[in-house]
Amino acid sequence: MKIISPSNLTVDFGSKTLKPHESIPMLRREVLDSFLRFRAQSSGAHLIPALVTHLEVPSSSTEPYIIHHTSNNTKRTLAVDVIIGADGANSRVAKSIKAGNYTCAIAFQERIRLPEEKMEYYQNLAEMYVGNDVSPDFYAWVFPKCDHVAVGTGTVCAKPDIKAYQRGIRERVSHKINGGKVIKVEAHPIPEHPRPTRVRGRVALVGDAAGYVTKCSGEGIYFAAKSGRMCGEAIVKASEGGEKMVSEEDLKREYLREWDSKFMKTFRFLDLLQRVFYGSNAAREALVELCGDEYVQRMTFDSYLYKKLANGDRWEDVKMVLNTIGSLVRCKIVEREMEALKV
Amino acid sequence: MSISMSFFSPPTPTHLLISFSSKPHFTDKTIFFLRPANPLLLSAPKVSTDNGAGISAAIEEPKAEQKVAEPAGSAPEGEKSSLGSNGAVADAGVKLESKFVDPRWIGGTWDLTQFQKDGSTDWDAVIDAEVRRRKWLEGNPESSSNDDPVVFDTSIIPWWAWIKRFHLPEAERLNGRAAMIGFFMAYVVDSLTGVGLVDQMNNFFCKTLLFIAVAGVLLIRKNEDIETLKKLLDETTFYDKQWQATWQDETPSSSTAE
Repeated sequence: MKIISPSNLTVDFGSKTLKPHESIPMLRREVLDSFLRFRAQSSGAHLIPALVTHLEVPSSSTEPYIIHHTSNNTKRTLAVDVIIGADGANSRVAKSIKAGNYTCAIAFQERIRLPEEKMEYYQNLAEMYVGNDVSPDFYAWVFPKCDHVAVGTGTVCAKPDIKAYQRGIRERVSHKINGGKVIKVEAHPIPEHPRPTRVRGRVALVGDAAGYVTKCSGEGIYFAAKSGRMCGEAIVKASEGGEKMVSEEDLKREYLREWDSKFMKTFRFLDLLQRVFYGSNAAREALVELCGDEYVQRMTFDSYLYKKLANGDRWEDVKMVLNTIGSLVRCKIVEREMEALKV
Repeated sequence: MSISMSFFSPPTPTHLLISFSSKPHFTDKTIFFLRPANPLLLSAPKVSTDNGAGISAAIEEPKAEQKVAEPAGSAPEGEKSSLGSNGAVADAGVKLESKFVDPRWIGGTWDLTQFQKDGSTDWDAVIDAEVRRRKWLEGNPESSSNDDPVVFDTSIIPWWAWIKRFHLPEAERLNGRAAMIGFFMAYVVDSLTGVGLVDQMNNFFCKTLLFIAVAGVLLIRKNEDIETLKKLLDETTFYDKQWQATWQDETPSSSTAE
């Protein structure tokens, strides 16, 4: 992957530090989603293609939840004991259980089919752009998707200007996507932090519905899948294979507490990174400078690929912290001088 | 370098442009001005090797209205006249195809041999040049290119150059403040309690006051810093609060009937 700073300093992230069996995965959601559904079905899940319209919360703990859904233009109901809400950022399940709101970022992406020679460049390369012209608090990207590229950006604080930022990223890569044709435009909200309530009664939220998206990198796919699995396993364990009724305490204990103890540190750390490095152009320059360091890359990949904050060599850690401080100080000085020029 | 410096001090570069003595360069500069509005970039490579380009790179940053003024000036100039009309047309279209050009910016990094002063590299000038470049890029984001990658990063400039120019004046100021406060407080405490300096240092309370004084001088340098520190504390704990929210209403929610 290449990371490009506001002053176009380009740092190669991973071509030397990724081990042969490691890679930064790119995926097409339309393919992944149908694969996951199919796999669940072949493992015994009962698939009901329908649109859930609303959820009836029972008044006592012995009554089931009623899911009102529409399929084939007919309204139907389904009575269930436990619900796992995995319906994404605009979750209807979350609304029904009054789980509370969260702030969202908006991610905007255009899928562009490139001419052959230009696609050649992106065959095995993703790019990440940082800068005030492409996003004030996030990054912009060019991700290859097999036979086309996805060029996009995101922001939390400046949502109305998302089109301007998209123009910004298009201009930053203008040479590389010249002659390409936009085949699809997508936008979606991305939660910035978990909802105030993730479990209520016998309903649990997982993935984007719960708000499990890391800051800094905006990664949510792994956490969605993992939380779904953890929640499912928690229910199996608490209900002893479906024999006993599950309660809210069971869900909180087996699922939420496990999840928080496992991943909260990762989320907190990425939040820190976002606050330190995404605030201004100076900080972004420092970030890109630091990413050139091999130790930083190795630590990043170890944490990202194995989903655990990696433990590195203490001495190298100290050097990395000193380099971080040095880069931040230098870039802040340059920014201060830039401000002086304006005045 | 010094020529570009002078262009930044006066508030109206336009006047300086007109009064600039070397006439032959004048037209080159104006052509260069048109470049951003002209997608054809006909004369760009030639102009970049010219001396005038270094100066125009510095001017290019502020005034868009000068682009409109200049086509009239450049029209009479023979081969470049086509650019004049093109510039006017392209002015209406907004696409900015610009590139940072400077005679000392070679191969995506600053050519340190051009920054020599008295036999060694003038790092202050390198810092100034980089500041200018980033300032220009902020206003005119440049498309990243694969054939021409930027490889300059601030770690090329040695640490002592940064310290000498930026840290030392600030350190002097802070040490001065700390010394003044220290002397004054030592005098006041002595006059009030009769405890001399050596005895003050042995006292725990006085040591605490000394610590607070030093920390205060370091952390609070401007009035705004107090607000900044308070906000920083809030921000640091905010994300954590959002995560813990689910456990906040643990007792009330379990009591409500499911």
